[in-house]
Amino acid sequence: MARSVLKYVRVRDYLRSLVTHELSAGDAIPSERLLCERFGVSRMTVRQAVDALVVEGLLDREQGRGTFVAQTKVELEVRLASFGEEMQRRGMAASSTVLDAEVVAATPDIADALDILPGELVFSLHRVRFADGDPMAIEQSWLSCQLVPGLFDGDVPDSIYGELRRRGLEPDWGEDTVSAGEVDAQDAELLGVQAGRAVLRLARRTFAGETACVYSRSTYRADRYMLWVPLRAPKRVLTPRRSESAVPAGSTKSRSTTTEVVG
Amino acid sequence: MNEERKGVTQQAIDVLAALGGVANIIEIEPCTTRLRSEVHDIGAVDTKALRAAGAHGVMISGHVIQIVMGPHVDNLASDLEDLL
Repeated sequence: MARSVLKYVRVRDYLRSLVTHELSAGDAIPSERLLCERFGVSRMTVRQAVDALVVEGLLDREQGRGTFVAQTKVELEVRLASFGEEMQRRGMAASSTVLDAEVVAATPDIADALDILPGELVFSLHRVRFADGDPMAIEQSWLSCQLVPGLFDGDVPDSIYGELRRRGLEPDWGEDTVSAGEVDAQDAELLGVQAGRAVLRLARRTFAGETACVYSRSTYRADRYMLWVPLRAPKRVLTPRRSESAVPAGSTKSRSTTTEVVG
Repeated sequence: MNEERKGVTQQAIDVLAALGGVANIIEIEPCTTRLRSEVHDIGAVDTKALRAAGAHGVMISGHVIQIVMGPHVDNLASDLEDLL
């Protein structure tokens, strides 16, 4: 049992490296027979390995034709750039379809994210975002009407960040919350994928200094996107100088990292 | 405008008071845009006062509180260090 699991993992990881480092999108992978011979495994083991990469989105299986390298995923850096700016940096043409642009009363969750009160008016923009003509993401954005009056006068702006800058609000920090999920039937149709396929959901608060400017919720196709996250070691933890005497009995530290007493 | 000129130190004083003062602090850690703090008594934390001190969000889980402050949180943390 353990042996066959290892064999399948070896074939899978070999194929993964082949797909990401030697082959290009659309190339056929080596035949089952070749893989069986190379690894000395059964056809079933090879199929198991290929299935895993099909599910992962690295390979496309086409009935009667064979198995091919899927389109590469776009690395989406978690940083404060708009969809349009991100696509432009990759040499892809961004476009969008506006599904809805209206003024609504802020629900409590949106009000909280925008640092306003529930019921205050917000611009609500619902768009499908495309890269090189392919639907990539669905994005809903909300902005306080008081902050950006007349946002929808005339044409709906192509770029929200661009419009903010024109108004002297320079987006300079934010927070993304990322989760994984399955796409519902409506969004699946808009994205041109099957319902139930994996998606990445990003909820973003965008700030210009101390001003909360935009709250947005996006749904990205997981078959075309992966997240790229830069990491840094955490900053030093601060503890009170007199912490030892101040700690009541029964209170325990949940962290085992270096917590030096300052001073 | 006034808030901008208030200076970070006043903000640090306000944040520490809203967290229940030095005696309530187990530890404080700046995390990119948030201040994460573990406290003895979560009931002694005043979330309204944190908001008034400039917080854009407050998340509480058990004894740990996360306060969305923004990228200047490192400066705030060094001021808090002086106060601890």
